[in-house]
Formats: sequence, structure tokens, C-alpha cells
Amino acid sequence: MRSGWQGLVADLVKTVPWGRLRLIAAITLAALASGASISLIGVSAWLISRASEHPVFTDLSVAAVGVRFFGISRGVFRYTERLVGHDLALRMQSALRLRTYTSLAKTTLLGRRHGDMLVRVVADVEAVQDVVVRVVLPFASAVVVMAGTTAMLARFSVGSALVLLGTAVLAGLVLPWWAQRASRAADNAAVPLRGELANQVRETALSAVDLVAYDADVAALARIDALDAELRAVERRATFVRAFASGAQVLAAGAAVIAALWIGGQAVVDGAIAPRLLAVLVLTPLALHEVLGGLAQAAQTLTRAQSALARVVDVLDAEPVGRGDAAVGDASSEPYVRVSDLAVGWPGFGAVASGISFDLVAGQSVAVVGPSGVGKTTLAATVLGLIPAVSGSVETQGRIGYLAQDAHLFATTVAENVRIGNKDATDEEVVGALAEAGLPLDPERVVGELGATLSGGEARRLALSRLLAGSYDVLVLDEPSEHLDAPTANALLDDLWASVGTRPLLVVTHDESVVARCDRVVRLG
Amino acid sequence: MPQARTRGPVDPRLLSRARATRVFLGAGVAAGTATAMLVVYQAWLLARSISSIVATGATEGLGATLVLLAGVLAGRAVLTWLTTWLAHRSAAAVKSQLRHDIMEATLASPGATPSASLVTLMTQGLDGLDGYFSKYLPQLVLAVTVPLIVGASILFSDWQAALIIAVTVPLIPLFMAMVGWTTEARVRRRYRYQTRLARHFADLVAGLPTLQVFGRAKAQAEGLRRTEEANRTETMATLRISFLSALVLELLSSLSVAIVALAIGTRLVYYGIDFRTALFVLILAPEVYLPIRQVGVHYHDSADGVAAAEAAFVEIDRGLPLVGEEHRDGGSVRLEGPLTVDNLTHSYGDVLALPPTSFTLAAGEVVALSGPSGGGKSTLLSALLGFLTPTSGSVTVGGFSQTRFSGREWRSRFAYVPQAPGLIAGTVADNVRLADATATDDEVRDVLAAAGAADLDLDHAVGDEAEGLSAGERRRVGIARALLRIRRGAHVLVLDEPTAGLDADAEATVVESVRSSGASAIVVSHRPAVLAAADRVIEVGVVA
Repeated sequence: MRSGWQGLVADLVKTVPWGRLRLIAAITLAALASGASISLIGVSAWLISRASEHPVFTDLSVAAVGVRFFGISRGVFRYTERLVGHDLALRMQSALRLRTYTSLAKTTLLGRRHGDMLVRVVADVEAVQDVVVRVVLPFASAVVVMAGTTAMLARFSVGSALVLLGTAVLAGLVLPWWAQRASRAADNAAVPLRGELANQVRETALSAVDLVAYDADVAALARIDALDAELRAVERRATFVRAFASGAQVLAAGAAVIAALWIGGQAVVDGAIAPRLLAVLVLTPLALHEVLGGLAQAAQTLTRAQSALARVVDVLDAEPVGRGDAAVGDASSEPYVRVSDLAVGWPGFGAVASGISFDLVAGQSVAVVGPSGVGKTTLAATVLGLIPAVSGSVETQGRIGYLAQDAHLFATTVAENVRIGNKDATDEEVVGALAEAGLPLDPERVVGELGATLSGGEARRLALSRLLAGSYDVLVLDEPSEHLDAPTANALLDDLWASVGTRPLLVVTHDESVVARCDRVVRLG
Repeated sequence: MPQARTRGPVDPRLLSRARATRVFLGAGVAAGTATAMLVVYQAWLLARSISSIVATGATEGLGATLVLLAGVLAGRAVLTWLTTWLAHRSAAAVKSQLRHDIMEATLASPGATPSASLVTLMTQGLDGLDGYFSKYLPQLVLAVTVPLIVGASILFSDWQAALIIAVTVPLIPLFMAMVGWTTEARVRRRYRYQTRLARHFADLVAGLPTLQVFGRAKAQAEGLRRTEEANRTETMATLRISFLSALVLELLSSLSVAIVALAIGTRLVYYGIDFRTALFVLILAPEVYLPIRQVGVHYHDSADGVAAAEAAFVEIDRGLPLVGEEHRDGGSVRLEGPLTVDNLTHSYGDVLALPPTSFTLAAGEVVALSGPSGGGKSTLLSALLGFLTPTSGSVTVGGFSQTRFSGREWRSRFAYVPQAPGLIAGTVADNVRLADATATDDEVRDVLAAAGAADLDLDHAVGDEAEGLSAGERRRVGIARALLRIRRGAHVLVLDEPTAGLDADAEATVVESVRSSGASAIVVSHRPAVLAAADRVIEVGVVA
């Protein structure tokens, strides 16, 4: 099996239903479209040359039909090829997005960096479209057309056909290959720069308020301008090569035409070919080279696409950390959490807290307290089974619900956000959960990116309402009163404690009023 | 929203904003004209030599013709090189300018645009202009110059062929416009749809930790599959229509060439035209249609480019100053004295975000703002700092109204810590030094200690989106930064939930530091320890 991006692309073709057939169909249609374009000129040249010999009109009728056929079919072939090609490319892109998402979903991400995920997943995955539409199809069909045209012309003049093949290989394969190699360094340098620009833009947008408040906006703008200038310089190098290659392609076409005129002219003089074939020999190379013009840019597209896809392959091949999805567990009438001599820490980074032991059964609540950064969230992740314990053991029974400190709000309706906690929640349950969390919002209201249309307090309540919408046997709360004003926090905690009933409750907090409500306190650090 | 307008091939705002566009168009017309003349000369050379060989059966003078041909082709090669080069330079210049303007606008109205959309626009979005400049615009120029010059040459050789071309060529832009009109709305919708999909996908990925906690991440793959399926279906439906324009062009242009070939072939048989002229016309006929056809091929590059430019202009327009700069004359005034908020209110449309609020903050006084979440406390702070223009009411310092100052002048008095302080990638020290780049390590350590973060290493790395710091640490770095700014001459600390996520000890340290800084302070908080330490507590958001 091939590895790297070629392997990925080949694999995706197989993933798509009828993928290979679609690919072959698209290549064939592309070759037919280019072939029709070349044949139109070749047959027209023959028709005119033959007509100049003043034959009876019926001698021209086959050529006349050919001219009409090629005149019509080129557009139809091209249109069909585009649709088949784009459809295949989109299917492959969707397959890759899914595969990337599935791969990411398998690895525990809580607390891990996901800053450049947007650029990576959205932009890099799109490269597969370019590979199909702008690289594979043009090159594969160009090779077919080159071979076909050369074979046709070789019937009249082998020498001229060989020169044409030579110049076509030069313009269609060697020059694009050279251009790709020559500008690869520049193109490769552009990819991380783009990523850096994206990061800088995101950072500036997210901290815009701070930057402006501290007069650092001018410096931030200067940083982006500097990155932009770097990117520009890199793109300029790539363009120089591409411009040179385009010019050289015109020269290659010229060489083919001049050689055809020279060789064909001699052949006519020597009587080796009929005079009426000279125009065909000279005009066909022009038409073929017109087809090859875009290939230099196609090769450059490949450079960009292949480094993007290589990074996608890295994501796909990465070993998963932890278990990804939490095992919510089966409902149980006797839920419990048993922690004994537990050491917790992110896999590969050693323990951040150790020697933790407690038993939590129905009707009890335990507060885990400790200074910031001591591993409270890590403990919660371990109890949830998202990451393995460094040593010691965690035993749980029952469905565990967790309120994260930095719960993400999705850019969708309030109701959909609540249903993250219970996808089967009815409209009434959603409204009820919202009310219980003290957030009587319209369930159909749309929440912006990162909860942008909600205040900090509202966002926390919405996250809380997810937990209230699901029927969980054990509840793990991470700073439940954070961001809520004192009266509402108290009212909420009252409601919460009431709705908890006899369920085991594990609370990670430093809020003394929350600690006071718990039966026991476990101190970390 | 931008005003609806009739869209020409070149966005007038691109012409007026980016000088490079105009230079490029000028140079492009010159290069296009030269190219067209070389094309005609090349065709004439070819037709003459082929017909001469066919007629005489000899290759006399062929050597000289070949040299001339080589010269013509070399000239075309240079022009090709030049056009590609010019196109890139223009695209790069325009992209750089738009990038700068967009970011300037983003900083002028912070938080107005979701960061994901902004990132997409600044990278892939603006790259749409590459295709616009390197493919669409040069072809557009050639589509005007080449048919005119080549068509005129054909007219002088054979008016009947010229007539066929003269009839068919205008059909092409006509059909193109017709197809363009019918597809424009769909192409725009597609761009919006894709942006939304990009957001949906990024949103899903950003929310993965949350989904995983609820054991729902893997299940969302099914939803993603459906979204993707829907997107593909929609995109293909759009492509079927928008590729129609290219189909019409290809059909018209190649059929026209075929008609010209058949017409001159027929006339050749009956001595209506000589072979040399017929060849000349046949070689030139496709050249008339080629650039027009290419415009059709690159129509999507144009649509992408125009859509990108439009999205850019929306951002840029959004960032226009809140209040006209011409009214601001406060630059020379020293901002001193009590801060007075008088009947300040703010509404987003019909939604009242901040009910009328009034208070005065004396020098050195610490005031806590309290009230229900969503009651307008954060809105009040935004108005105080000049990030939004209040609907009514006023803010004055020592009797001078806020509206007399530029944002920068006004804010020089304040040190602000938002609820989730934004951090730049670098070190903890880098972030504290936003307040003053020249602060010594000792000073930075000092303010960090005052913010309850004595244990934070100055060289502690801060990554993308404050990675490497807990929410509490992030807040303390923000507080340290604000305290440093106070030491550098700012008078008012503005803190939004400064001690959330901090333990009791750190909270006590922060409260003490705010007190001992000597600055006046406005603190939004719900924490009893903070409220108790304030001189006064003002309820915000409770309509009296």
C-alpha cells in the first residue's frame, strides 16, 4: 500500500462509491474534450486543403461531418467532464472530512491545543479537491491526448510527429515538473506562513479588546503586515518560476510549429506526403499546445496540495490519546464512584496529583478543592474515563454527567445546545432544563460563535442546562457557581442540590459556599 | 449590509481602493494589444508559407519565414511571461492592502466578527483574488483586444468570414450575461453556504472536548456526513447551472469555427476565395474565440474574487469610526478628576442591553458593580472604554465628555481586564509587557505577585488561545498587566470578574493590590470577598 498523500488520495477514490469508474470517466471525458478541440482544427485544415484542389463536393462530405461533430462535441464533453470531476472531488473531500473528524474524535481533546485545527481541517482537507480537479484530471487526460495526437500525425510524417511529441512532453510534463520543483521551496514556505497568518489573525481577533485597550493594536497590525509581506515575497518567488514556465511553453509550441513547417515542407517537396497534409501537420501542433498551456499551474497546485494533505495524513495517523468519547455508562440504581490511591495526569506527562482516595455513593457529595492548576480538571477527566489513571484505580457505576469549566457552546439554537446533554430531550424537557438552570431563553434563539451572543453567566447556565436535561446517575461539576451572581448562584445551587436528590455528587470548586454544601472535602496539592 | 448594485466585470471599489488594479489594467491592455498583433502576423506568415509550398512544390524563402516566426513566438513568450508576472504583482498588492484594511477594521470594532470567519476570509477568501487577477482580468482584457484586432484583419482579407464572426461573437457576451444573471444569486448563495459549512465544521471540531464529555463526539460524525451530503448536492446543483455559461461559450465558439471552416471550404471549391486567404482565416478564427472562451472558463475565478472582495469590504465598512473624528478636540486636555456616568443606556436594536445607569467615581474610590448576569454590566464597561457608542447618556472625566476624545486618548486613562483576557502567543512576561514594553523583569515579577501569580514563571510559554495557562492564571496575567499600566500613569482600573477561577488566597491578594494601587477601580464581581472590599456596590440592570 502506498503511504503519504498519494496513498490517501488512492484510498479515497476507493472509498467513494464507484470511485474508480468515476475517475476513469472523468479522465476519458477530459481527453475527449481536448481531442475534439484538436480534431476540429486538424480536420478543418484538411477540409480546406482538399477544397483548394477543387474536388467534387461529395469528396468533402465526411470531413464536413467531422468538422460539425467536433464543433459541437467539445463543449458537451467538457461540461460533462467538469460535472463528473467535481462530483468525484466533492465526494472525496467529504470522505476526508469525515475521516479527519472521526480520527480527532477518537483522541481525548479536553485541555489540549486546538488552535490551528480550523486551518488544518477546513483548508488542508480542501486540497483533495484541487488534487482531483486541477492535477489528476488535467495531467492524465493530457497524456492521453498527447499520445493520441502523436499517433495520428505519425501516419503522415513520423519525423514531424516525433518532434511534436518531444515539444509536447517538454511543455506538458517537463516544464510543469521543473516549475514545480523550482518553486517547491517557495510554495512549501508559504504553507506554514499561511498557518501563521491564520493564527495571528485569530489571536488578534480574539484579543482585539485587550490589544486596543493596551495600545498594542498598532503593533498587532504591524505583525500581520510583516507576515503578509513575508507571504508576498514567498509567493513572488513561486510566480517568477511559473511565469518563466508559461513563457517557455509558448516557445515549445513555437518550436513544434516551426519544425512541422520545416519537416512537412521538405516532405512535400520530396513528394513524401500529399501537399494537402501540410496544413494539418502545421496547425495540429498549435492546437495541441493550446491544451497544454495550463499544466504548469496545475503542477504548482500539486505542491501546495501535497503538503496540506501530508499534514492531514499526520492527523489521521496520530496515535489516539485517552479514549475520546467518555463512556457515559449504563443507568444504575446503585451508582457509585470509588477512587483509591489514585494518581492523575495527562498521558505522557506524568502525574500532577497522587494519593487521592474517596468513596462516593448515593446520597453523598464530595468537594474536591485545591489551588488553581493542581489537577482538579485532570481528576475529573480521569473519573470520567477520558484518560487512564497514572496509577491507582477508579471504579464507577451509573451514568456520569459532567459540567466542564470551559463548555463549548455550538453555533446553533439554544435547544440544540441543551440537547448535547440528552439528544432525545423533548421540547418540554428542554424548556424545563433551561428554567431549572435559571436561563428562560427562547429555545429557538441562535447562539453565535463561541456563545458570542450570550453573556458569560448565560453561557454557563446554558452549559448547566445540558446536564439537567439528561438523566445522569452521578454528577461531576467543575466550578458550578463560577460567573453567577451570588443570589442566583445560591438559588441555582439550591435547585441543583434539590434536583440532585440522592445522586452521588462530585464537585470541583474553590467556592467556599459550594464546599459548605458538600458532605466531605478532598484536598489536592 | 452593502447596497445592492449592478455588478460589472470589475468591482469599482477594487479600482478606487487599490491603485495596483488600475496600473495592471493599463499594462494588461498594452500587452494584450501587442499579443493580438503578433497573433495576426504569425497567422499571416504561416498561411503564406504553407500556401506557397503547396502551390509551388518548393521551399524557397522558407528559411527567412522560419526566422521571422521564431521572432514572433519569442515575442509572444515574453508577453506571456510579462502578463503572468504583472497579474501576480497586482493580486499581491491588492491582497496585502485588503488584509491590512480588514485587520484595521477588526481592531477598530473589536469582537464584531467571529474569528473563524475572519481567518477564512483573510486566507482562502482573499486568495480568491489570485485567480481573479491572474486568470480572469488578463483574459478579460484579451477578450476585448484580440477579437477587435484579429477580427479587423479577417475583415480586410475576407469580409464574408468576418461577417460570420461578427454575428457570432456578440452572441457570446450576450449568452454569458444571460447565464451570469441567472447564476449570480446562486453563486453568492454557494459562497455563503460554504462559509457557513466551514464554520459548522470548525465549530464541531472546537466543540469536540465538550462532545466527548457527553460521549457524543463519535455520534456527530453521522450529522457531519449528512451536512456534507447536503453541501455536495447543493454545490453540484449550483455547478450544473454555473458551468452552463462555459458550455454555451464552448458550443458557440467551436461551432462558429466549424461554420467558418465549412463556409470557406465550400467557397474554395467554387473559386470564391484563394487558399492563402482561406488558411489565414482558418488560423485566425479560433484565435478570435479563444480569449472569449477563456473568460468563460475563468468566470468562477471572477465570482470567487468578487465574492472575496465583497466580504472584505463588508468587514472594512464595519470598522468605520463610531463617532466622526472631526468632533474630537480633546487631545490637549489632561484627563483628571472624577469619572461621571450620567444616565447611560444602550440598546441593540429593540433590546435594552443597559438600563439607565448613573454614578460618580471619585479618585481612589473602589466601586463594585453587581446585578444579574445579562443585566448590562459588560455593556457598561464597553461603553466606558469607548468600544461602543452608547444609545444615550454621557461619560465625563473632570467635566470633559468622552465624545471629545479619540478612543486612544480616552483609553489612556484606563487599565482594563476583560472577563477572559486575550493573550498573545509568547511568554507570560510578553503579555504583561503589553502594558509597557520597557518594564524590567523585576517589575513584571512584582505586578504578577500583586495579581496573586507569584508562582508563574516569566518565561512560561503562552500558546494559541492562551494555551498553557488555566483560566485563573490567564485572568491573573491580565490583572498584572492592568496593574503595570496603572503604575505607568493610568488612573482607573476596570475589572470584569477578576477573581473568578481564583482560590481564596489569590483573591485576597488581588483585592489588596487593587486597593493599594491607589487607582480608582470599577469592579464587576459577584464574589462576596470582592463586594465586601469595595467602597460602594452599585446595582446594574435592575430597572428602578
